[in-house]
Amino acid sequence: MKKITLLLLLVLIVSSACEKDDFCIQNPVTSKLIIDFYDDTNRETLKNVQRFSIIAQGETDSVFTNKTYNSISIPLNYLNAETSETVYTLKKNDSNGAAISNEIATFSIIYDTEEEFVSRSCGFKVIFKNVAFSSSTNSWITAFTPTTIINLDDQSEAHVQIFH
Amino acid sequence: MYKYFISICLLFVVAENFSQKQNKNTSLTEEKDTLVYKTNYGLRLGIDISRPILTTLNGGYTGYEILGDYRIKKNLYIAAEVGYEEETSAESYSNSTSKGNYIRLGVNLNAYNNWLDMNNEIFVGYRYGFSLFDQTLNNYTPNISDAENGNYFLADLNTTSKTATNLNAHWSELMIGLKAETFNNLFIGFSVSYKILMSVTEPEGFKALFAPGFNRIFDSNTGFGFNYTVSYLIPFSKK
Repeated sequence: MKKITLLLLLVLIVSSACEKDDFCIQNPVTSKLIIDFYDDTNRETLKNVQRFSIIAQGETDSVFTNKTYNSISIPLNYLNAETSETVYTLKKNDSNGAAISNEIATFSIIYDTEEEFVSRSCGFKVIFKNVAFSSSTNSWITAFTPTTIINLDDQSEAHVQIFH
Repeated sequence: MYKYFISICLLFVVAENFSQKQNKNTSLTEEKDTLVYKTNYGLRLGIDISRPILTTLNGGYTGYEILGDYRIKKNLYIAAEVGYEEETSAESYSNSTSKGNYIRLGVNLNAYNNWLDMNNEIFVGYRYGFSLFDQTLNNYTPNISDAENGNYFLADLNTTSKTATNLNAHWSELMIGLKAETFNNLFIGFSVSYKILMSVTEPEGFKALFAPGFNRIFDSNTGFGFNYTVSYLIPFSKK
């Protein structure tokens, strides 16, 4: 009898120990695109984008809406293709909240993707290669720099500066 | 009632006393027990019964194991296990299958003092394990989620399967377990083991997540295993 209880106890210990123990604590696993917004006339100073909303084309939810930011980080999509493209629509409103004074611009990012294994729980991260930016003409985005980056795999500093 | 609670408790207090003192001079003549209880020595062969059960219950797992040990001293056994395992690790961002054969070699030390001629064991053991396996990355979804936006984009599933062959793993293993003789020469046993990976060949661009015989490889290169065994002792001699 004692033997059986001991056996059952051991079974319990073992079966309760079989759980997912490692959680992905790295955030984000894949680098996001960091954009800083600068003043067009005084190109050294950061300038807030007022009532700022951003949404990717083909998505139904915004990344954020009606915020005031001078720096944003946005995710890039992974498509099972050689070259992927993510197009963001950016809305700002400098004067008031009225819909008529909304200013719209699009910013598109074209890149190649390369996957790299991180860990069991985090999975694979994406390294974006040969990244090229473009924006809609005659929009509130007057200029941006740089136009290309070779390798996007780092979150430590801004990747693009947008002037407005 | 509550008033007497402590008093009731006192009812159960037992004080043991013996009122006679044994006179040392009149000690009984003790005879030394000369009867020696002999136990069987021989080769014990068995199977692991948890693995076929897991195979039927868990769709992502197939495995079997045979094991044997040979008693070389009163409380020392040479032990080995060989087996085959196949497991599909379904993770949040990847799905991979490992399959292959393994062997574990080592010793068991019985730490249990048997009563009379009983032949039970509570043992500690050491094993060296070696496994040769293949691992296939069936599919994966790159992780483009983050804490602020969650899964803003749903990344495409990459279904290009990649197989890495001839991977091997070496490990050391500490075991603790018990074996009980239920019928004559028939033993049932249970053991758990803690494994430390010494080396493993990683597939290119991926990681070995499961090694047959080792079980799941944790990030710290350690693992756990267990065995439920039924074995039969073929007695060679009685000592």
